[in-house]
Amino acid sequence: MNIFKDRLSLGPAEYEDVLGVALSRGGDFAELFFEYRSHTSILMEEDILKETAESVSLGLGVRVWSGEQTGYGYTNDLSPERMRKAARSAASVALAGGEAKRSSALVPGRSLSGIYDQTDPASRADLVRKIELVREAYDACRAFAPEIVKTKAGWVDLVQHVTIANSEGCLVSDVRPMVKLTCAAIAEKGTVREYGFSGGGGRTGLNVFAAARTPAAIGREAAEEAVRLLEAEDAPAGEMPVVLAAGHAGVLIHEAVGHLLEADFHRKKTSIFWNKMGERVGSDLVTIADDPTIPASRGSYAVDDEGTVPRNTRLIEKGVVSGLLTDRLSARILGRDLTGHGRRQDYTDIPIPRMANTYLAAGPHDPAEIIASVEKGFYAERFTGGQVEDSGKFTFSVSAGRLIENGRLTRPVKQATLIGTNVDILNRICMAGDDLAFGLQTGTCGKEGQDVPVNDGCPTLKVSMMTVGGRS
Amino acid sequence: MNAPLPSGGLKELVEKTVRLSLACGAEEVEVGVSDSVEFGVDVRMGEIENLVEAGTRSMGIRIIKDHRTAYAGTSDLSTDTIERLIRGAVRRAELAHPDPCSGLPEPPASPIDPSSLDLYDPAVSALDPRTKIAMAMETERIALTDHRIGNSHGASCDTHEGCSILANSRGFQGEYRKTFIGLNVGLQAGETDDLAEDFWFSSKIHLADLASPEEIARKAVARTVRLLNPRKVQTQRVPVIFDPQMTAGLLGFLFSCLTGTAVYQKATFLAGRLGRRICPETLTVVDDGLLPRGLGSSPFDSEGVPSQRTAVIENGILKTYLCNTYAGRKIGLPSTGNADGGGVGPGNFYLSAGSFTPEEIIRSTPRGLYLVRTLGHGLNPVSGDLSRGAFGLWIESGELAYPVSEITISGNLGEMLKGVEMIGDDLDFFGSVCGPTLKIAEMQIAGRS
Repeated sequence: MNIFKDRLSLGPAEYEDVLGVALSRGGDFAELFFEYRSHTSILMEEDILKETAESVSLGLGVRVWSGEQTGYGYTNDLSPERMRKAARSAASVALAGGEAKRSSALVPGRSLSGIYDQTDPASRADLVRKIELVREAYDACRAFAPEIVKTKAGWVDLVQHVTIANSEGCLVSDVRPMVKLTCAAIAEKGTVREYGFSGGGGRTGLNVFAAARTPAAIGREAAEEAVRLLEAEDAPAGEMPVVLAAGHAGVLIHEAVGHLLEADFHRKKTSIFWNKMGERVGSDLVTIADDPTIPASRGSYAVDDEGTVPRNTRLIEKGVVSGLLTDRLSARILGRDLTGHGRRQDYTDIPIPRMANTYLAAGPHDPAEIIASVEKGFYAERFTGGQVEDSGKFTFSVSAGRLIENGRLTRPVKQATLIGTNVDILNRICMAGDDLAFGLQTGTCGKEGQDVPVNDGCPTLKVSMMTVGGRS
Repeated sequence: MNAPLPSGGLKELVEKTVRLSLACGAEEVEVGVSDSVEFGVDVRMGEIENLVEAGTRSMGIRIIKDHRTAYAGTSDLSTDTIERLIRGAVRRAELAHPDPCSGLPEPPASPIDPSSLDLYDPAVSALDPRTKIAMAMETERIALTDHRIGNSHGASCDTHEGCSILANSRGFQGEYRKTFIGLNVGLQAGETDDLAEDFWFSSKIHLADLASPEEIARKAVARTVRLLNPRKVQTQRVPVIFDPQMTAGLLGFLFSCLTGTAVYQKATFLAGRLGRRICPETLTVVDDGLLPRGLGSSPFDSEGVPSQRTAVIENGILKTYLCNTYAGRKIGLPSTGNADGGGVGPGNFYLSAGSFTPEEIIRSTPRGLYLVRTLGHGLNPVSGDLSRGAFGLWIESGELAYPVSEITISGNLGEMLKGVEMIGDDLDFFGSVCGPTLKIAEMQIAGRS
C-alpha cells in the first residue's frame, strides 16, 4: 500500500504533472519528496504518567537543479494548486528562464528488503502496552538505590512514509519505523547531585525490548550511572593515553572521520580531507565504514531520501582514505558513485550527504590487554556527544569514565571534554579490540540545522596521547 | 486529508477546534496555529547554491480532562485529521494520571497590545527575492576580497514572516505577526592543513536594523584571520574573558539552570537557592519578553500568559525562576510568561551591561584566555559542570598576543558566577540570549603537558 495513493489519490500522473511544472523554466533535474509522519510520545515523571502526545506531519518538497544551483519549494497542503506552486518556487532557480524540459516516464524503482523488523510495529501497538514498557524502565530506575531522587522515562515511536519521484523516471517508496525508550536519573547524596542516562530502540518494533536490552535494564543503567557519579572525582586535565570503551565511543569515529568524508565538504573543498583520497591519515588499525543496511539499526534505511539504494561504504581502509559518502549533487559534481547517503530531516529540507551507521572495524587486541598496557591514563566510558569543524578539530564529551593506574581501572571520574585534530588522533590509535559494539540506538546527528537519526560503533580503542579537559 | 481550509480562515479554524474538543469530552482545551512564509538563499563563491521558498501551517492542541493532559499536533489542517487527533487525545488523556498542577492559566487581566512591541516590519515582508540574493552575494564578495580568506562556507540571507494565533476554552484569544531577517557569512582561512574558521551574522526583526553586508563581511574576516596559526598552551588555571558571543553561550546554559521545570525535576544546581546571593552584586540578569523589536519578544507566551520583564538575578541575588504555568504551580511561583511548547523558553534573556570597555578588561589581565569560540556539548545543568573545546586569543601582559586552539576549558557554573570579576559595556541584542564581554577570575585549561 502507498499512503499517498490511498489517502490522497496521488499517483504517477499527478507526480508527472508536478515534475513538469518544476522543469517548466529550464531546470535540468526535478524531484518530489512526499512525506507523511506520525509520531507518538509518552512522558513519565514524578511517579505519574504525566502526558502523551501524538503528531502528524504531511508535506511535499520539490527540488530543481539548474547547473549546480538548487531551487527548493515545499508545502504541507497537497492540493494540486499548492503542489504546483511549490514546484514553481523551486523552478525559479532557473533564473535565465530557459526552455521547458520533459521528465522521463516514472518507473517503479528498487529498495532494500529486510532492513526493518515489521512484525510488531510500535505505530500500530496499543498505547497501554507502550505505557507498560515506560513504567517498567521508570520503576527499575527508581528502585535501583535510595540515592535516586528523580526519574524521568520517555517514549517516542514514529513511522515515516516517503515517496520519491524524479525527472529521470525514478519512483520509489519507503515506510520507516522507529522506536526509542529513554530513562534519565538524578541521584543525590548530601549536597552532591548527579545525572545518569540510558536508552534503547531502533528501526524496529516493540519486540526489541524483549529481545535486546529490556526496559528494566535501561532504567537500571541510567540509575547506576547517576549513583556511580556521586562518588566520582573530577576528571584529570592534560595530555595522557586514553582508552575508549567499545560501542559508546563510536561518537569519536562519527566526529573525527565521518563528517569530514561527507562529499559536500569535498565539493566545497572545506574538509581537511578533500585532497587526501588515497593518502594515509591513520594507523593500520583504522578501517572505517558507514553501513545504512544494518537491520533494525537506528541509522538504517531501505532507500535514501533521494531514491538511491544505499550500500555499505568503506571510508578508510587500513589508515588510507578510500571513500566518500555521497548524495546526488556531490556525486554528479565530483564524478563519483552514489552511495545512498542523501538524507534530509523532513520534506522542508534539501537532502545533503549524511552518515547512517558509522563504525571502526574490530581489531586484533583483547580489551583486557589494552587496559593492561596503560600505566597512567583515562578510560572514557559514557558519552553525551561531540562536534567537529571542517579543519578536523573535534571534541567529544565524556559523562563518565575511570582512571587507569598501573594497567587497572580504578577510581570513577566525571565529566570531561576530549579534544584533538583528527589526523593526529587517527595516527595515534595504537590498539584496537576485537569487541566491536554499537551505541545505545538513541543518537541524533545535527548538520546545517537538520537532525537525522544515526548510530555508531567501535571496538575498545587506545589512543596513545590525547588532551583530556577535566578539572583537576 | 488535504481538504482546503474551511472558509473564514485560521482564526475561525482555531475557535472551531476549541469547540469541537469540548464537544468530544475535553474539559479544557488550548489551540494554537502558526502560519508562516519563509525565503532563504545560500550563495557560495559568487553563485547561488540554494534558493528556498515556502509556506507552512501547523496546529498544536492541548487537552485536559480531570487534571489529565494530552497533546496533539499536525501540519495537516483538514477537518478529518483534526477530529481524529482530538478524539485520540481525549482517550490518551484518560490514560494519564491526574496531576493537580495541570490545567490552563487564568485569562490575563490586561493583555499586551502586540503593536506596542513593533514585531512586524512590512519592509521585510516586501523585500524582493533579488535584493536578498544580492545582499548575500555582496556579503560574501566583500569577505573574499581579503587575500587571507582562502575558502567560503557561503553567505545566506533568510527571511521569515509568521502569524501566531492562540485560543483556549477559558476565553483567551490572541494573535500577532512577526518578521525576521538574517544575513550571515562563514569563512575559512589558511593555506595548509591548519585551517581557521569563523563566521559573522546579523539577525533582526526590522530591515532597517540589519547590519550592512560590508559590516558583516569585515567582522567575519577579522574573526577568522585572528585565529590563524594557533598555538597550544600548557595545562594551567587562568582568568578567562568571554567575548559577547561566548557570554551568550554561557547565559544559554544559565537559562537552562533557571527554569522552574529544572527546579522541580532537581535537574539544576540552582534549585533551592531562591533569595540567596549566587554572584557578585554587579551582576543582573533579566528576561524581558517585551523588548520592542526584540528577537525573543512576543505579546503572550505559548499558553496565552502575557510576556513580561523579569529580573531573574538582581545585584547578585537569585530573585525567581522562569516558569510556565505548570512549573510555577509545581514550585509555588507565578508563571513568568515563558511557556514555550510544553517547556520553558527565554524571551530576551540577557546579562545587563557593566561599566568596563572590552579593552579595559583585556588590559586588566596579565595572562589569560580571551575565549571566542567553543566546540562540543559538555554542559551539565544538574551539577553546573562545564567542559568544552576552546578557541581564543592568548593574553600576555594585558594584550592579545596569539591565537590558541586544541585546548579545553572547564569549570563549574556556580563557581564561575561567583568568580565574575568584570562586566563589559558592550551589550548588543544580537540574539534572544545575549550579554556583554565578561571576565571570570579563573578556569581550568587543559592543553600541553
